[in-house]
Amino acid sequence: MILFFLTSGLFLGWSLGANDASNVFGSAVGSKMVSFRKAAIIASIFVILGAVIQGAGGAQTLGKLGAVNAIGGSFTLALAAGVTVYLMTKLSLPVSTTQAIVGAIIGWNLFTGNRTDPGTLTKIIATWISGPVLGALFAILLFMLVTMIRKKSKIHLIRFESFIKTGLLIVGAFGAYSLGANNIANVMGVFVPAFNLQPLDLGLFTLTSEQQLFLLGGIAIAAGIITYSKKVMETVGANIVDLSPDAAMVVVLAQSVVLFVFSSSVLSDAFVRIGLPSIPLVPVSSSQIIVGCVIGIGLYKGIRNINFKLLGQIGLGWLATPLIAGIMTYFSLFFIKNIFGIDVGHKVTGPATGTIPVPLSPDPEVSEMIRYILIGVIALSIIAGVIYYIIDHRKQTELKASEERFWKNMK
Amino acid sequence: MAVFTRTTKKLILRIDEFFDNVELGVLVFREGIKAYIEKDMEAYNRHLHKVDSLESNADKLQRTIENDMITHSILPQNRAEVVTLIDRMDEIIDTIKRSLNEFLIEMPEIPEELNKDLINLTEASANAAEELIPAARAYFKAPYTVREKLLKVYYFEGEADKLSLYTKKKIFQEVKGIDLAHKAHLRYIVHHIENISDLAQKAADLLSGMAIKIVM
Repeated sequence: MILFFLTSGLFLGWSLGANDASNVFGSAVGSKMVSFRKAAIIASIFVILGAVIQGAGGAQTLGKLGAVNAIGGSFTLALAAGVTVYLMTKLSLPVSTTQAIVGAIIGWNLFTGNRTDPGTLTKIIATWISGPVLGALFAILLFMLVTMIRKKSKIHLIRFESFIKTGLLIVGAFGAYSLGANNIANVMGVFVPAFNLQPLDLGLFTLTSEQQLFLLGGIAIAAGIITYSKKVMETVGANIVDLSPDAAMVVVLAQSVVLFVFSSSVLSDAFVRIGLPSIPLVPVSSSQIIVGCVIGIGLYKGIRNINFKLLGQIGLGWLATPLIAGIMTYFSLFFIKNIFGIDVGHKVTGPATGTIPVPLSPDPEVSEMIRYILIGVIALSIIAGVIYYIIDHRKQTELKASEERFWKNMK
Repeated sequence: MAVFTRTTKKLILRIDEFFDNVELGVLVFREGIKAYIEKDMEAYNRHLHKVDSLESNADKLQRTIENDMITHSILPQNRAEVVTLIDRMDEIIDTIKRSLNEFLIEMPEIPEELNKDLINLTEASANAAEELIPAARAYFKAPYTVREKLLKVYYFEGEADKLSLYTKKKIFQEVKGIDLAHKAHLRYIVHHIENISDLAQKAADLLSGMAIKIVM
């Protein structure tokens, strides 16, 4: 049963992959610089790495906004957020999973009578505003730098595009890593307090309970990227403003830097050490940042390039997402509690806000099951990778042979 | 990844070689027409042979460039235009070959008083095509300079137009002692020579638009 509850989080992860991967590789795939297949493979690998290695910071902040203290509650709010993101994705609107989950947590707080910590909420909303602004600034600065280098170096257009293509892959990998690190909290953050798994020894390293959940969430995001992100990837970027390949690379780089800044505890600690205020480790919306970056480039190139109608639609989506997710969570919790009689959480007394419930003692059966699932998925991915490599290699060989035949006949 | 393979380097070399072929083709066209007018048929045949091999090489390069760009997804946003530009430049060398061959087949008899006019027309027309090459090369390395380079193409194309008009008028109104069929044949020859600058102008128009797009 406990694993069944996790499915809603996995669904949310799938929705996030389907929608937010377009922010990382959308401009590269949309401008046909990178094939969808290549983008999907790189994004999947790096999103999982980011989630497992660097995903903890954002999860703690979400825990402070509302410490969901029953697995039924975690299930319901993740499901409501997932359905909201899915519906918005269906409409081809780049929505924010962060906003959906925040809306859902507030819905849970309202239903259970818990207080929403205004400090944490303000911190999260402030990053929703500062994220796109920072993205726009970084994008303008980086674009100016790239343009200057290009003008001064007089590099051949084909060589330049070749560098850009490689750059898009590297930056996309960094973006996917940052996305996983920053947004895994949205997917699995609400489940962390309710799960306590035994450490998983994979030989080279050991995964903690939280990391195992993040790995599962990362795999769900990867599944979303592979199965459903193509359509959004092909429409994002090019629809807002006509992006050249170098601008596309700059947009992804600027977005990745912003995501990284808001999820790196190392960077935040470094800020504190030199006497600056710490950076809030908050899951920020990659969709909002990418739009900020694209607007930055648009402003630099001349404002007439921007498709304001589409921006308006996206803005409307931003307002609607937390609202829909909050309302949906509130009513879903009502049904789950009263019709199915499942505990969805209760009011925390005392110094409630900011406390995360004490995890349950490790359940060896659940741990064992998750261990097999993870090992199975990793093995399957390796097999799929090998099959893909063989098919691709065969295709390349056939193409080369056909070309050679063509030139032989021409002679 | 193209940057880690030789594809990019090879493609750049192929494009450069293609431009070299067209440039040499134009040079040979100028010398070929001069040789014909000066009735040096040995030199003319040599030039014709040379242009034949240049055109064949350019065709091969054109196909390879197109093939490479599609297979390796190079310049996806500008590919169609680059391919069209190369096609239009290939048309110049194709037309040069065709024109020189037609000279050999039809052996037009050129009255001496037209020699200088035809040489001037050939110069202007060849200059227009020649000036296109640095502009096309600049598109890949310094797109900001393309439009200023194209000014020369437009200038020489205008000159070629004027000279062609003048020569045709001279053929029909001033040259005496030749019949109408001969005059019509000479007009046809003038068209052949002038055609090169018209093709250069067509390619220049395309290149100008491409340069704006890439700079924006």
